[in-house]
Amino acid sequence: MNITDLKRNDKATIVSLRNIDKRFMERLMDLGIYDSAPVILLNTLAYDNLYIIEVDDVEICLRKEDALNIEVRK
Amino acid sequence: MIYLLAGNPNVGKSTFFNFMTQSHVHVGNYSGVTVEKRVHHIKNYEGANLVDLPGTYNVSPSSEDEGVVTYSLLNESYSGIINIIDSTHLKRNLHLTVQLLELGVPTLLVFNLKDALRANGYVVDVEKISNKLRCNAISLSARERNKEDQISISNELKNLRIYKSIELNYHQHIKWGIQRIHDLLRYDTVQVKKKWLALQILEGNEGIFKFLDVTKAEKIRAVVKEVEEKIIEDDVALSLKGAIFNTRREFINDLVDESMIKIEDKEHSKYFNQRIDRILTHPAWGIPIFFAIMLGVYQISFGKFLGVGALFTSFFEYFWDEILVNYLGQGLEFIGVSGFAYGLVIDGIMAGVGGILVFLPQIVVLFFMLALLEGTGYMARVAIVMDRFLSKFGFNGKSIVPMITGFGCTVPAIMATRTIVDKKERMLTILTLPFISCSARLPIYVIFISIFFDKYRAFVMLGIYILGIMITLISAKLLSLSFFKGTGSKFLLEVPPYRIPQFRTIAYQALEKAKRFVKKAGTYILVGSIILWLMSNIGPAGINIETKDSFLSIIAGFVSPIFIPLGFGNWQATSSLFSGFLAKEIVVSSLNILYMGDIAAGFTTLSALTYVVFASLYVPCISTVATIRSETNSRKWTLFSIAYPFVVAYIVALVIRLIFMIFI
Repeated sequence: MNITDLKRNDKATIVSLRNIDKRFMERLMDLGIYDSAPVILLNTLAYDNLYIIEVDDVEICLRKEDALNIEVRK
Repeated sequence: MIYLLAGNPNVGKSTFFNFMTQSHVHVGNYSGVTVEKRVHHIKNYEGANLVDLPGTYNVSPSSEDEGVVTYSLLNESYSGIINIIDSTHLKRNLHLTVQLLELGVPTLLVFNLKDALRANGYVVDVEKISNKLRCNAISLSARERNKEDQISISNELKNLRIYKSIELNYHQHIKWGIQRIHDLLRYDTVQVKKKWLALQILEGNEGIFKFLDVTKAEKIRAVVKEVEEKIIEDDVALSLKGAIFNTRREFINDLVDESMIKIEDKEHSKYFNQRIDRILTHPAWGIPIFFAIMLGVYQISFGKFLGVGALFTSFFEYFWDEILVNYLGQGLEFIGVSGFAYGLVIDGIMAGVGGILVFLPQIVVLFFMLALLEGTGYMARVAIVMDRFLSKFGFNGKSIVPMITGFGCTVPAIMATRTIVDKKERMLTILTLPFISCSARLPIYVIFISIFFDKYRAFVMLGIYILGIMITLISAKLLSLSFFKGTGSKFLLEVPPYRIPQFRTIAYQALEKAKRFVKKAGTYILVGSIILWLMSNIGPAGINIETKDSFLSIIAGFVSPIFIPLGFGNWQATSSLFSGFLAKEIVVSSLNILYMGDIAAGFTTLSALTYVVFASLYVPCISTVATIRSETNSRKWTLFSIAYPFVVAYIVALVIRLIFMIFI
């Protein structure tokens, strides 16, 4: 499952990141998004096209395309 | 004594910097990058200075701004580092802290936003952290500007010393890599620990290679590659950087668990955010709310009703024209200056510089309002709301802040693009921003509309602004399909919590931006006004001539035939466009002078329309071009930023003229 499969306020752990290029990966990492990071889905906006997640106390807004690439485990 | 101030973005670094320091020392540039360096004296600490580094998540850079941190740590001379930390986001902030402490330089940790953390029901056990990390630490709320806090930080700095640097238990492959690189570097002289350098290299800090010789760099890269392969092969992490990151995170998680003390049960502020967010970023209402807010901002900055900015401008105008210029003129006459020199000072310099300074109050008000919106956290929501729309044209959601600023002035708008991490998206934003109609172009519209289109005032005005926005979007789309492929494809935004901004900080930010604007625009306009005045008052026959015999009119007369298809191929209109290159507002004063106050005589209704359209889109002013040059660091794109708008303006004006000639 990936981030888009979570429901609001669900907690999960990031398992892997697929199809993400190196530079974007580094930016994700700057914000703490990486394997084994705990993640909470806080909100979805713009008709479920944007996902607001929380990782390590940081609230981050992602596009659906990228959220699909982040595999999580509940 | 020099101390470096390092911290993540948005942790109150500027607030802390202003709180800790007093007089201004200097603003320099870091070599190789275009980020300004602020150095101020530290209060209550004789002879000590604080250097403000750009906000960064990592020592190893992922944007141009962040490269400065590596550069400073390796090359600047300093006695210690102050690391400012957002106590409400410890887990993320401590990644930078760990990297700085691994360096083994005397470091003071400042846990900021103590009050915000307390409001969430927590406190940081500073002593525990300080013992565990073997460094000095203090917690405070910089925005309270408590004098005792300031003194105790100064005292901490005086007693700052090196403890043993922390060493994390990285995976054995990484340890092996560190040792190998360390051996390769054994004959190099650097001012930091080589093991630290080795770890940074493994992490992918490309900035370090700049300071190593090339043959060695290749050997080092081979080691990095080998370690990376082993890490992935043994399934330690998804990448080498990731493996290092995960070790740090474990260390940080333990540290935070031990040192965060819950003192009260409180509802976390994020639930509050969620409720407001759902309204402000609502798919249907989000954009109307944004437009309504922006309308209010522009109304207050530039409008007549509620117009604080316009009010200040009229005071300023009065002061400048009636008092300063008047007395200066009388003074000059008194000491016997007249004729040519008098004209140069009063009609050249004072009129030219005054022309742009008159807009300063409005721009300061705009800056203030935007800083206010930024400070509350609303701008991040705007980026979210606008992301889907803007990404279709190759922009980033974050491009919205420069765009909004661009309605005020293009120079600070271009500077505001620094927050866009992706280089291509940033370039695309910079190159298309000049099409957004800045406030300096407003006088042109106002004059022409009042003379030629009085019945359709609002309609023409709105039309010009919409045209500018459309050209911006179309140009961005074209650029994203040609030179900057793949832009608009990524969006990642840290959503800041809503905060009540502090008046002092906001006012400071606005004034700081205004100062930069005056410095940048002022210099060019001063020089430009002098040149323009001389050009229009000197001719082949010497000085004291009619304007039509001046060098300006001769050159303009030579160029003007190319504007015949647009309907204004005369030297007056052309030289006014020339002068507009110095600053757009000069177009109007120049037209007034050249047509001797009777602009209506020089245009037909249609040629007035094409002139306004052309003037709204053509070549950006010289201050903008200079800013583009320094921000892009590229001669090619600077030339592009001059040539492309000219071509676009010409085509659009021509098309409009043809349409009107055929159909109306």
